[in-house]
Amino acid sequence: MINITIDNKIVSVPKGTNIFKAAKDNGIYIPGLCYHPKLTQYGGCRLCMVEVTERGRARHRFSCAQPVAEGMIVKTKTPETQKYTKSVMEYLLAHHPLDCPTCDKSGECGLQEVTHDLKLQTGRFKSVRLDQPMKRDNPLLEYNSNRCILCSRCVKVCKEIAGVAAIDYQHRGFKTVIGTAFDKPLDCSFCGGCVSVCPTGSWQDRTLKFRARPWELKKTPTICSYCAIGCSLVVNSKNNEVMRITAEENLELGVNEGNLCVKGKFGHEFINSDKRIQTPLIKKNGKLRPASWEDALEHIAKKFSKIINDHGGSAIGGIGSEKCTNEDNYLFQKFCRAVLGTNNIDNISNMKSPSLNRLINNAVVYGMASTSLEGIENADTVFFVGADISEAHPVLGSMVRKAIRFNKAKVIIANTRNVEFGSEARNLLRLNYKLGTQTALINAMIKVVVDEKLVDLKKVADKTENFNELCSSLNTSEIDIKKISGTTNIPEDSIRAAASSIAKAGNCYVICGKDIQEDPSGEETIEALMNLCALINKGDNDKVSIVFSRENNNSQGVNDMGVVPGFLPGYLDIEDQENRDAIEELWDVKLSADLLANNSGDIFDLAVKKKIKAFYVMGENPIVNYPNGKKVNEAFKKAEFVVVQDSFLTETAQLADVVLPSSTYVEKGGTFTNMVMTVQRLHKAISQVGDSKPDWQIICNLAEKMGHEFEYTTSKDIVDEIGVSVPIYEGIEVNRLRRKGFHWILSLYYKTKAAVYRFEVASKKTNAITSNKKYPFILLTGSSLRHQGTYSRNSESLISLASECFVEINRKDAKKADIVNGDNIKIESAQGKLKLKAKTTGRVPEGAVFISENYEWVPVNTLRGNGYTNVKISKTK
Amino acid sequence: MAKKKSLTAKKKVTPKRPMIIVGMGTCGLGAGAKAVLESIEKELKKQKQTADVISTGCIGLCSHEVLVDVAMPDYSRVTYSKVKPDIIPQIIEEHVGKGNVVKKYAISQMPLNGRGVKQYRDLPLFDELDQNKNQVKVVTKNCGIINPEDIDEYIMSGGYKALEKILTKMTPKDVITEIGKSGLRGRGGGGFDTGWKWESTAKYVADQKYIICNADEGDPGAFMDRSLMEGDPHALLEGMVIGGYATGSTSGYIYIRAEYPLAIERLKIAIRQAKERGYLGKNILNTKYSLDIIIKEGAGAFVCGESTALQFSIEGKRGMPRTRPPQSVEAGLWDKPTCLNNVETFANVPIIINQGAAWYSKIGTEKSKGTKIFALTGNIKHAGLIEVPMGITVREIVFDIGGGVPKKKKFKAVQIGGPSGGCLPESYLDSPIDYESLKSAGAMMGSGSLVVVDETTCMVDMARFFLDFCTSESCGKCPPCRVGTVLMLDILNRITQGEGKEEDLDVLEKMSDEVRTMSLCGLGQSAPNPVKSTLRYFRDEYMAHIRDKECPTASCVALHKYTVIPDNCTKCTLCIRNCPVDAISGSREEVAFIDKEKCIECNLCYDKCNFMAIK
Repeated sequence: MINITIDNKIVSVPKGTNIFKAAKDNGIYIPGLCYHPKLTQYGGCRLCMVEVTERGRARHRFSCAQPVAEGMIVKTKTPETQKYTKSVMEYLLAHHPLDCPTCDKSGECGLQEVTHDLKLQTGRFKSVRLDQPMKRDNPLLEYNSNRCILCSRCVKVCKEIAGVAAIDYQHRGFKTVIGTAFDKPLDCSFCGGCVSVCPTGSWQDRTLKFRARPWELKKTPTICSYCAIGCSLVVNSKNNEVMRITAEENLELGVNEGNLCVKGKFGHEFINSDKRIQTPLIKKNGKLRPASWEDALEHIAKKFSKIINDHGGSAIGGIGSEKCTNEDNYLFQKFCRAVLGTNNIDNISNMKSPSLNRLINNAVVYGMASTSLEGIENADTVFFVGADISEAHPVLGSMVRKAIRFNKAKVIIANTRNVEFGSEARNLLRLNYKLGTQTALINAMIKVVVDEKLVDLKKVADKTENFNELCSSLNTSEIDIKKISGTTNIPEDSIRAAASSIAKAGNCYVICGKDIQEDPSGEETIEALMNLCALINKGDNDKVSIVFSRENNNSQGVNDMGVVPGFLPGYLDIEDQENRDAIEELWDVKLSADLLANNSGDIFDLAVKKKIKAFYVMGENPIVNYPNGKKVNEAFKKAEFVVVQDSFLTETAQLADVVLPSSTYVEKGGTFTNMVMTVQRLHKAISQVGDSKPDWQIICNLAEKMGHEFEYTTSKDIVDEIGVSVPIYEGIEVNRLRRKGFHWILSLYYKTKAAVYRFEVASKKTNAITSNKKYPFILLTGSSLRHQGTYSRNSESLISLASECFVEINRKDAKKADIVNGDNIKIESAQGKLKLKAKTTGRVPEGAVFISENYEWVPVNTLRGNGYTNVKISKTK
Repeated sequence: MAKKKSLTAKKKVTPKRPMIIVGMGTCGLGAGAKAVLESIEKELKKQKQTADVISTGCIGLCSHEVLVDVAMPDYSRVTYSKVKPDIIPQIIEEHVGKGNVVKKYAISQMPLNGRGVKQYRDLPLFDELDQNKNQVKVVTKNCGIINPEDIDEYIMSGGYKALEKILTKMTPKDVITEIGKSGLRGRGGGGFDTGWKWESTAKYVADQKYIICNADEGDPGAFMDRSLMEGDPHALLEGMVIGGYATGSTSGYIYIRAEYPLAIERLKIAIRQAKERGYLGKNILNTKYSLDIIIKEGAGAFVCGESTALQFSIEGKRGMPRTRPPQSVEAGLWDKPTCLNNVETFANVPIIINQGAAWYSKIGTEKSKGTKIFALTGNIKHAGLIEVPMGITVREIVFDIGGGVPKKKKFKAVQIGGPSGGCLPESYLDSPIDYESLKSAGAMMGSGSLVVVDETTCMVDMARFFLDFCTSESCGKCPPCRVGTVLMLDILNRITQGEGKEEDLDVLEKMSDEVRTMSLCGLGQSAPNPVKSTLRYFRDEYMAHIRDKECPTASCVALHKYTVIPDNCTKCTLCIRNCPVDAISGSREEVAFIDKEKCIECNLCYDKCNFMAIK
């Protein structure tokens, strides 16, 4: 630490800090418009001049460019510095249009603030202004170069944080502006980072559309409802309407350092969309008609009671939501188990990858699950396995880029597709494996570590079980680096390099994505991956952490809360009588005797077999989201009674007999659990839209109608109960969640020691992809940056930004089939067909086509069955 | 095993055959050297004469181009000036054929390499020419003498000896000490101590280190570096390799403007030849030291002459200066220790090594050692490239070397250091030229452009011109330079249009200080210099524009009153003949008179008048 004096205040800051930051962190104001704590230093605005006295000599220094040195005496306001700073501001204002009355930034504008702080009066100059037209070439962002002071923040955020580098300087001298290459329309990830960091009104959020002035906005910090990162964001509302989303200004808060993605930043229009369901709806004569809450709940209670009477509680299937809060989901499973008497409850993420909960739980138990996302910033190596980070979790990409920038981290991307990852990484290694060979690839890496003794193998053998069995299972002719190099289509050197950079890293993060989790052979791959991590961790000081990048904001929470058939809340085995007894005591109910009956296969199988007669769906759209479209459609067709609780009339809701309007995340409190098990609290920003109610409240009302007392007045009461009944959430306290998350893994690690790792024997199966003459292509599905389900679908701006879902085809395949960008393509599988526009790309391997799953109106699942899907493509009109 | 590299020159310069040497620098080419060269070759064939025709670089007499030298065996080399293709037959017939100097065109002779060659009578020696008398040719000694595209000629004239010396007999530390002792300071304008810079670079340990030559010469009216690179490219390379050895650099860059195609070509040839001979590349002169030099062409931004912007440009980024620290010597190009010097600085290095620091430091003043090359242009008789010892006075340069202001006009000022420099008025004619004196007088050494202006130049307009240059060359990074200079220019424009106010001068003075203090890089910091120095020495001229709405030199078109000054009018009637609307009356007997009613202010009469009789 270095001690310096700033304005007579002695402060102590780390070495290498610049004076500007030292002052700011200690509450001393220095004017400045180009410095931003999360960006590299620029020194272009020339406003932060201070007087620095060192060794008795006073000099003028620009504080953002000057590192602190022991004994420095800094004066931020001397007549001289004031004079010069004022002069620069005067120049800036002579250039600035001063159109504050019509500027959306007015009131939170950095330029206004500095002007006010310096008490500037009318200047010495006539104005010299640029007269450039406003650039409005996309639905989300607009750029006004006349207001720009060229602080470079947007350029840097785009390059350093978003990894896109879509914008840079153009021209010289007075005519310098920010722009895209060759003035093409902005084509970037639209993370809105430029708007967030812009100190003037140059970059504007077009979703605000002049509907509010900054000082009229009520700002409520809350958690994003799109992906599983759980970014902190601030909902800006006026008159109970959400006007815009901004990033959390305090970069210490939340996981995302104020970085957001296109959905988090601009995908908020669904909240006040007129497509929201305003009142409960009851189906009469095949049509959904508005009804009162009383009637709707009565109707449901009656129907449910009848079904329970006739067929037993197990005839009702409950589907929980990856989007709803922990409280909603906790209450949902409690309602299903305790009131309806069914254990046929599930959630889509569990149905897509049934082994994932067990595997994640193993990772936690063995002590290799990552406890925080921020830790990625300190990683030396980041290993993406089947994770399309730029599309699925863009903010996670920003964290990795930070590691690259500060630690020169190595990045290894293993994926069957050539997924995008924009960064300045000099050490980026790609392992583009052939689909189906991913397990072999990981096993090859394990073999490299063992063969080349990259870690202390004796230590590993001492600390683990089954290590010798693993080693002998590796010594087969199948697991041979050369052979695997051939089957995976990855050079031997790359496999070796990847293994050694993971083994030798000081700190490594393995990010296992959806492409692995939802793969038919995902279980084996993840087991192999855990073998690899354990091998390195046990041989060399627990330095590898594994992150399972789940898809939705509460994909983790819904499973934690036990909306799965196998587990009670907190992954307590439901088969275990003791666990059931405990929960009976807690809930003060007697669980139905035949609770565990009818428990084979997932609920849609059961419905197809007519063992399930009714569905209770909360905040989920399985008709589109469940991978096997044919099966889920049949299941719903066969169901006698369907209740759907949702904010929008989704495909599933349209099939329902009763639809209950639920509130979105900004209209309620509660908690979300992100992909590293950080529980974060939501804050209610606006009151309920229409007649909608929070899901937990609907459940309470319904329970009451069915003769059970669910006495919760606020979601806090539910959190309190969760803290008692869900062991992993023990110790959670709502008030402590106000500004900080609750890391349940951490709290677990405080309490228990990691279990001794037991290696799984390496699988020799190679999951060969059957080639099919009739259907020559393999269908790959995955995430999309610009859409994610119902919410984005109902956000106008996102729709106008990305209105079309494309089928991505490898350029070579496209050439063979004479397909060019924009052609209409018919994709056919044994299950169904779909018509989409083509996009030729180098990202998809030959012999495969890619369709995003996240365009909800495109039912990709109608093509899919179980396992890999073979398709054929043809041009149509 | 690499084959033994040849370290000796292959052929000798003194010819057994007649030799014709054509000055083919950019200045020569501009004056028509190519046509001259062609006609020489044609004429030789026609007259069945044999001679070696060699092209060389700029010898400094730019106003005398095209220069053609003829050297007969055993006779001294005779320089013909302002040669046109039509006099070639005569020169070849008389001089090459019969051995008689064509006195009409010859200006001087020079003995070759000091050997006992015969001299012609009644022809002055090259060094005794007025414009060469006060010069000390150290760095430019080869320019215009040797063939720059032939490494042997460079070696013959003592080239690469210094490199051999340091690689075999000196440690990097010795080299730095020697350079440090010589007192060599950066010739790019800043005057930073070269030895110190090298020492700082050598101090840092890194896997890669770079040595960069800044050849992005962008000042209007500056062409010293270009002439050096065109005339003696190997000197630069040798200097760079020595610098690279001293600083421990692993590779080198020459950042050169794309507008210098000839220099680029000659450097490329020089690099190729030096590599062939083992003076460059892997294991230089069979020692352990290796250095490769890469030419990087700039795209024409003036600001890329700033060291950090230059480095970004090499990295392929937009050329914008950055704040310091870290200094380039610590983290420069690609964040590695980088030593950056100017062309002329590097060209000085071999000389210092060869002649010794003690010899070198005898030239110049106490704090500014050695010689400095200036590009002398403007209203001066002998425009050209000159090399003078530090400490010489402005008067010696302008009047002795430059021959004074032509057309009997009065000297007014000299602008030193280009757009970043300042002007020195007549009262400073006797002040010495060195880094410190220039700075205290409000000018700066700059890269070495020296523009002489006579009494017909409006100083406000000149300040406006230079500021305009800086304004359009600003990179746009920081407001003082991007906006401040535009605001200053705005005021100057108003003044030259007669709309200035007296307060404006106060504002200009204040702004000069503000822009200098607040700008990030040298470009912005020095941009107000021309305004500041003209305000300091020619304030009354500003006042005339503001108070009397009059431009004393009648250069500011907007202030022309279109009246005739009777005293100046010679009744030549040129204006009358050129007036498109017949607004001027007068005759050979009568002073011209302009009828304001008819005058459309087209400015033609003003342009045509040779006697400054119209204002």
